[in-house]
Amino acid sequence: MEYNNKTIKNYEDFKPQLESIGRYGYFFITAMVMIIAWGTYALYTQLSKGQVVTGMRDYVIWGIYDANFIFFIGISYAGALISGILHLMRVEWRHPILRMAETITVVSTMIGPSYIFLSMGRLERVWHILVYGRIQSPIVWDVFAISTYLIGSFIFLYLACVRDLAFMRDHPVGVAKWRNSIYKFMSAGYRDTPKQRELLNQLIDLISIVIIPLAILVHSVLAWIFGMTLRPGWHSTIFAPYFVLAAIYSGTGVLIIVMFVFRKIYHLEAHITKNHFTYLGILLMILGALYGYFTFSEYLTNWYGSVKWDMEVLYRLFDTSTYWWWFFFSAFIGVLLPIILIAMPRFRSIKTIVFAAMIAVTALWVKRYLIIIPTLETPLLPLHDVRPEFASYSPSWVEWSLTAMGIAIWLLLFFLFSKFLPIIPVVRVNSADERDYFKLRKLAKERILRRMISKTRRDKGPVAGMLILLFLTSALVCRAEDPVHSRLKLEFLNKSGTHLLTAKLTSKKDDQTIPLEGMQVSFFIQGVKDKTLLGKGSTDEAGKATFTLPDKLDVPRNKDGKYLYSASFEGNKEYQSSESSAEIRDVFMKLTFSQKDSAKLINLFAVEINEKGDSVPIEGSTAIFYVPRTFSYLKIGEQPVKGGHADIDFPVTLPGDSVGNLPIIAKFEDNDNYGNSEVSATMAWGKPLPPMVIIKRGLGDTNAPLWMVYTLIVLLSLVWFHFTYAIFTIFRIRHLGKAALQEENASSATK
Amino acid sequence: MNDNNSSRRKFLKLGLAAGATALIGAGGKALSAVSGPEAGGKETGEKVKLLSPDGTLVEVDKGHCHSCPATGKEARQGIPNKKMVMVVDLARCRNARKCLEGCQSMHHLPPKIEWIKFFLLRDSKDTSPYWFPKPCFQCNNPPCVKVCPVGATFKRTDGIVLIDNDRCIGCKFCMAACPYSSRVFNWGNPGQDALPEGKKYSPETSWPQKVGTVGKCDFCPDMVRQGKLPSCVTSCPNGVYFYGDKNEDTVTNGTETVRFSELVQQRAAYRYMEELGTEPGVYYLPPVNRLFDYKVGFQELKPEEIDLYKKEANLSE
Repeated sequence: MEYNNKTIKNYEDFKPQLESIGRYGYFFITAMVMIIAWGTYALYTQLSKGQVVTGMRDYVIWGIYDANFIFFIGISYAGALISGILHLMRVEWRHPILRMAETITVVSTMIGPSYIFLSMGRLERVWHILVYGRIQSPIVWDVFAISTYLIGSFIFLYLACVRDLAFMRDHPVGVAKWRNSIYKFMSAGYRDTPKQRELLNQLIDLISIVIIPLAILVHSVLAWIFGMTLRPGWHSTIFAPYFVLAAIYSGTGVLIIVMFVFRKIYHLEAHITKNHFTYLGILLMILGALYGYFTFSEYLTNWYGSVKWDMEVLYRLFDTSTYWWWFFFSAFIGVLLPIILIAMPRFRSIKTIVFAAMIAVTALWVKRYLIIIPTLETPLLPLHDVRPEFASYSPSWVEWSLTAMGIAIWLLLFFLFSKFLPIIPVVRVNSADERDYFKLRKLAKERILRRMISKTRRDKGPVAGMLILLFLTSALVCRAEDPVHSRLKLEFLNKSGTHLLTAKLTSKKDDQTIPLEGMQVSFFIQGVKDKTLLGKGSTDEAGKATFTLPDKLDVPRNKDGKYLYSASFEGNKEYQSSESSAEIRDVFMKLTFSQKDSAKLINLFAVEINEKGDSVPIEGSTAIFYVPRTFSYLKIGEQPVKGGHADIDFPVTLPGDSVGNLPIIAKFEDNDNYGNSEVSATMAWGKPLPPMVIIKRGLGDTNAPLWMVYTLIVLLSLVWFHFTYAIFTIFRIRHLGKAALQEENASSATK
Repeated sequence: MNDNNSSRRKFLKLGLAAGATALIGAGGKALSAVSGPEAGGKETGEKVKLLSPDGTLVEVDKGHCHSCPATGKEARQGIPNKKMVMVVDLARCRNARKCLEGCQSMHHLPPKIEWIKFFLLRDSKDTSPYWFPKPCFQCNNPPCVKVCPVGATFKRTDGIVLIDNDRCIGCKFCMAACPYSSRVFNWGNPGQDALPEGKKYSPETSWPQKVGTVGKCDFCPDMVRQGKLPSCVTSCPNGVYFYGDKNEDTVTNGTETVRFSELVQQRAAYRYMEELGTEPGVYYLPPVNRLFDYKVGFQELKPEEIDLYKKEANLSE
């Protein structure tokens, strides 16, 4: 395979950095590894002790981890959007900066999501998302989006490296053997045959197109994690496009800084010219203006509407004792300074553009902090019942250490990558090839893609103009010493003919009545001379001991026609003994229901048993009527019994069971003669309870609404179809390469 | 095996004899939790101790026990035909905080974990401040449930929103989504009593809490299954909380039992921040004809806490 002189000359510039790491290089790697080691200790601290080691508490539940997460995903835009768009528009000056941009994307997309893991209380349960995942949750959207995006950006970076990998394979001079075998494997047998060239160019175009809406969707989904909540400062419709814009603004800033750094350390002045800084500077300026516009629009709307909570967040941002200076830096300095520095040709130099980019990038990190923290410090209910350390947030050493670790890994990966492949593509596709491939493009079978490509070509006008259009469309997509006194209370219960004795044992502690549990209570009945033991029972957690009386008592009634029951508690080390008694006359009660005209009535018939054992209708005692409910009895009325009868209206408006069955209880309560005697009966005159309605699909249910499922399937299959196609094509290129190699060998053999 | 069965049958017979209709009475509470095999209970072989009406402890097969907190799928479904609601009478609250103490002892929570919060609200500068105790609202359109990525927090048919601490991944998204700040996070080890040996974890008891997961007021479904009132309701000295089943149209604070519809209609009940569309399951009765002056509520607070309340409620003195 032949390379032109220009390509070989290009390679000469990169050869030294690829062949040795250098003194400064080793120093840098050591420094980064030390930061990473410290970060690993911080990580161990957090994983072993839990998130107490962070500055996060109830209220401020998310902190700088999440700010870092948005920040890294934000800067990943450099490669996805910038290089994707510049590539599709065939901007001539793009070649030297594309690989840096794409590497920023891959490295940032690898570091970013790790902060979400750090923000999780239970890292070892991440797999629950795969097993129990709910499509209704924006976090699940994020899992799908970011993983897809990461793979997409890997493919994108790889495709753009294939030619250089092939070149490195063919130029093994001075490079270790293991590295050569990696180059050989990764070059996918690319030998620049016309067919391979056509396929590769086609793939790069295809992935460029797929990566743009994917990148926009990733940051929109990220914004929706905040936007979907009912929080002031988050619940905003413009959040998705605002995030997308802020992301590309910071991405461009990082790209400018990276360009500057590599230009300095690798002496690439010949490749990265002042023009590159100027063009990207102007792009940064336009993005700064747009970001400023979105910021102004967001805060103006909140201020003008002056809803209580929105205003509280605004007060926090504009209060000099809280966030004013931070806000001033991110919303004023971070917007105006880059614009002024770049817009005025007099100030415009590589150094000022890089300075402007650094200001923009720092301002955007501060912006992410200001999006998360002040809103979380402004709950809808006042911060009353809160421990002081819960009300505000400041990051702990663990959080800062892990932030530093993320940056260190980012820098280290970037540095190592630049030692593996030239940071600027060596093999260029010359304009002749491009024209050539424009012809081949006509053969592309996907009409939609073709239409998109032709559109981008037609509007080949100002780069910035096109970018604005794309951002705007994204908005659419988008605790006894002496025994203590105890008290026993005996109650007689007659439940529909079943006679029960209950004794409640209590004591007083700090003026509060407490039930005594697990104590033995003996029940007695007074005979002609002595008390007879009926039985024993132990008290439950409510201090109650219950005894069921036998149907027939062998004791005669006294002269009042009553039985004398008593209960006693013998006492123990802790509690004194106590007793209680009750004199009860037996009653017989019966409940019936009757309907007169439209009136539905409950009829109680009650008789008492006198000393001779005869039944006598009750006169004058008040009967109370109840409906039993889950926790208690609902009183529905009371009526004095006359001539043994008492009637009240049936509570027809009360809900019963599914057919309207309503149990009714008629009771003599704490009566001197009858104790607690009651009778119950059920009648279906209540309001029938409608059957339970179980909604199967919805935002709050187990299953997602169908439209969500379909949308997800369509989006994912569209993107993954292209990814699969790309991977398949890479194998095709490899296959073609083998064929070409055999042909070459055959022809050289015949010669 | 035969012995086991016969003793159980004896008990059941005794139980049935003791109260075919006693099912609902106070003395029959423990009994109501047990039903015979004809009631559809499945034998599991696992025994549970229960107090019989004659005051002796008996062992019952777990399959016949309805009072045990449900686990697994059953815990996610809810108690059939129930719809739990709460009505908080703001006119009776004096910030005694006994409900919180009751809640903490019932859920085995250390003092630092607070599931009920107390606010001193003041609607405008011209109106008088009032104490506002706040449990979880158990919304019918719960923002927390919508956003949970793993279904660790879920809405049940009985209206209760629970958290499965075995499933929660600790992303805290539900805390961000809850507009009422009802959720708390176990930042470190909760320092709770361990679950008794042989007992399975149930989201219905919310015990034990686990480090790195979210916790909140759970409306005590395990107590509802036993026909008992949650601790906050029974420990309140002033009868502020009324709790009950909306399907029975009845709520009770332990001493008074009233019809839910009459209470909320006659006393002009409202739900907090109804405008958010969350449809809370907790109703508030406006603080009219109050039993206490709001200043009584400062008695048990530390000076710095009082200052914080005064500051947020815009009280100048």
